[in-house]
Amino acid sequence: MFCLSELEDTVRVPPDLLKLPLEVAIKKVLQKLFLDKVLSIGLCVSIYDIKSAEGGFVLPGDGAPTYKVVFIIVVFRPFVGEVIAARFKESDSNGLRLTLGFFEDIYVPAPLIPRPNRCEPDPCNRNQMRWVWIFEEQEYIIDDSYQINFRVENISYPPVPTERAEDGAIDDDGLGPVSWWEGCSERNNEDDDT
Amino acid sequence: MSGEEEENAAELKIGDEFLKAKCLMNCEVSLILEHKFEQLQQVSEDPMNQVSQVFEKSLQYVKRFSRYKNPDAVRQVREILSRHQLTEFELCVLGNLCPETAEEAVAMVPSLKTKGRAHSDEAIEKMLNDLSLVKRFE
Repeated sequence: MFCLSELEDTVRVPPDLLKLPLEVAIKKVLQKLFLDKVLSIGLCVSIYDIKSAEGGFVLPGDGAPTYKVVFIIVVFRPFVGEVIAARFKESDSNGLRLTLGFFEDIYVPAPLIPRPNRCEPDPCNRNQMRWVWIFEEQEYIIDDSYQINFRVENISYPPVPTERAEDGAIDDDGLGPVSWWEGCSERNNEDDDT
Repeated sequence: MSGEEEENAAELKIGDEFLKAKCLMNCEVSLILEHKFEQLQQVSEDPMNQVSQVFEKSLQYVKRFSRYKNPDAVRQVREILSRHQLTEFELCVLGNLCPETAEEAVAMVPSLKTKGRAHSDEAIEKMLNDLSLVKRFE
């Protein structure tokens, strides 16, 4: 889910931004450092507010002032056990892939798809397999017609350590190195099952 | 967050710092991001160019998955849920998913029924009923 998180950081404001009001300049630097990056607390979506900025001292040998800034960011962070609404993206014989739009690495492995079910070639898309859930003698094709609620079972991070923003080593497209596996529950007009 | 306790929201073992951190419902995030976008529109001719992919797609997501759009309705929802001894986390999951029955609510937030907590089905039904009234008069 989305959370507000308070952080403190030392922010260097480059000289070309100094013509702007201080808060605007600091916000621009924070946006560059944090937006779309995956931190330990989650994926940073927006800078919410700057609580305080102190200092502004220019260190020897540097042309730019440095501030100690306390600020609040909006992050997205999944929790194991949390139920989240998503949309179907694609499926194959291993299972489903779901998406939130800003995050697309959500996988539901076959054993966690509601049973009874079956997997068959998708008549509309020869390269894909589709999953059909059978409930009370009704068949529900798992596709993008409905919102899919899923429960987060596991969150995994890549083996490559991610560096702080300054190095630019964090994934640029902002989707971060997280993948989750979860049990799938489909929400439709007739029935809800978790 | 303690390393020994495995994180599990279903039993509310999600780490103290997150229980205290302000969790936001999708409808609240929608208001926040919309506001940011409007601020950008005031200073830029092409605000879409100024926002990142993640911002744009997050805004799309929360707009789509919010039941409550009006700021007063959003405030009311948090107010109603706050009256029921829920943690921030539980409040937001319920506010996001809008279960219609107590059974659904407990399926989505099993921690409501853990030992020692006083959430009877009647109390949960009353809470859900109050929420549904907010929707109706938006």
